[in-house]
Amino acid sequence: MDPIWSNIFRKTPEQDSLAYFLSNLPLFSELSAKEISLLENLVHLRNYRAHEIIFEDGDPGSGMYMIRSGSIQIFSRTPQGEEEDLARLGPGDFFGETTLTAPVQRSASARTLEATELVGLFRSDLQEAAEENPRAASHILFGLTRVVSERLQAASIEIRRLQRMLGEDAAPETIET
Amino acid sequence: MNVAPPQRRGWTRGQILLAFLVLTTAIASGLALFSSASSLTNLSRTAFSVLFMPLFLAFVLSFLLSPLVRFIEKSGLGRTNSIFLVYLLIVGIGTILALRFLPNWEALWTNLGVDLPRYADKFTGYAKEVLDTIHEHFPQIKSYDLNTKINLWTQQILSATLARTPVSALKIGGLMVLVPLFTFFFLRDGRTILRAFVSLTPNRHFEMIHDLSYLVSRQLAQFIRGRILEAFIVGLVVWLGLSLTDIRYALVLGIFAGITNLIPYIGPIVGMVPGILMAFVDFGLGGQFWWTVILYVLIAQVLIDNFILIPVLISRVSNLHPLLVFFAIIVGGKLYGIIGMIIGVPIVSIIKMTILEVRMYRRTFRLPESALDLERGP
Repeated sequence: MDPIWSNIFRKTPEQDSLAYFLSNLPLFSELSAKEISLLENLVHLRNYRAHEIIFEDGDPGSGMYMIRSGSIQIFSRTPQGEEEDLARLGPGDFFGETTLTAPVQRSASARTLEATELVGLFRSDLQEAAEENPRAASHILFGLTRVVSERLQAASIEIRRLQRMLGEDAAPETIET
Repeated sequence: MNVAPPQRRGWTRGQILLAFLVLTTAIASGLALFSSASSLTNLSRTAFSVLFMPLFLAFVLSFLLSPLVRFIEKSGLGRTNSIFLVYLLIVGIGTILALRFLPNWEALWTNLGVDLPRYADKFTGYAKEVLDTIHEHFPQIKSYDLNTKINLWTQQILSATLARTPVSALKIGGLMVLVPLFTFFFLRDGRTILRAFVSLTPNRHFEMIHDLSYLVSRQLAQFIRGRILEAFIVGLVVWLGLSLTDIRYALVLGIFAGITNLIPYIGPIVGMVPGILMAFVDFGLGGQFWWTVILYVLIAQVLIDNFILIPVLISRVSNLHPLLVFFAIIVGGKLYGIIGMIIGVPIVSIIKMTILEVRMYRRTFRLPESALDLERGP
């Protein structure tokens, strides 16, 4: 195909928009178009180079990030200074959500693996939205809570599974539930 | 002879030419910049001094009006329309007030022109009497000739204020146009402007700056609204209280007391001087004079301001040391005259609050860290 024409058919502008990206995330899948447009004005688009630190363990955390393009690595540092790879995330994933509602420190570090575009949603913006537009803010928060509690449930099932595995090996009196 | 062509190491001729050109341009533009540096700094200083006042006033006004705009916006009106509605409301109330007071206003103005020298004369008369009695008791003071000196001072001060009035009238005219304009855009796009500024920060510090900008602006909004509301209520109380007496210009005195109340420590005292002086000159040391004094000192300042308004509206955090207040007033007055004196203190308070908020933010996040350290232990 003619290169001049091929560009046009690659992606429609709608699919390229931030609103399209947001509405396709499981976090915000139940929001109306109006709420998505509100959210669009709430989030921050940030561009990162490859191997750039997004946040470090112990930083004041103020919100979550969603990956629009690129990929990132979550890691923690051992007391000896070695890095321990915790997770690798790609487009559509999100991280840092534990600090969105409570002002706590980051519990791990994050770094980009390539040039990455992140969409940040921060506590202060959400607080402002909650004051100005409580209805939409509660919908956004509901979506977040749903996904976070799903994660929590998966984690607790995993813990129980690990405990059971541990129980088969260890002496029975060491296990408490 | 067969000499091998010298191995070109390093730069080619083209590159050297390019480097030469780049260096020449750099030096030339550097020299040009250097020579015009003084005019550049002058330019920026002029731009700053011209823009500072309207920007600051618009800033304060937009903080003041934004709750109202937000309230109207909640009813479903767009933001721009809400702002227009607020402007319409202000203009409407302003016209009603003007129509209500304008006939008196003109008479009041001419009266004030007649009365001010009268009050000054009477006051110097009193001062003369006092001086005469002093002279009787301490004849050696006579050599200082205080009498003519006081007359000279009052004349100088009066003429100085009169000479400055047209200039400030022109400035105020400019402000009347610029401030509503700037306020409109601050109200409409304030959040976007702030976001644009915050988004300029590098990735690594973005989160912190973003969080801080939110905390500081919230604190600022509270402070500005509190201060203005406080000044308004004090002015209202003074006006109402003075209306009970036979004193003239109760409204003017109330407005004056309200505006000066924006300055801590010194403002209230300056605000009560004209009222008490007028009461003294007009009524002597009678009941009305004492009522005026009680109204200014006890009712407006102690009861309303210190016991009710300041604890409710203004956090102790924004308190400034008296010395800092003096500095702010002196520097503000030097830079921008009377308006500078009024806004100098709030600006210093704003700076102080920003610093405190930053420190508090850092402490909030350091505390759990030290707790963790304790937990980890040696």
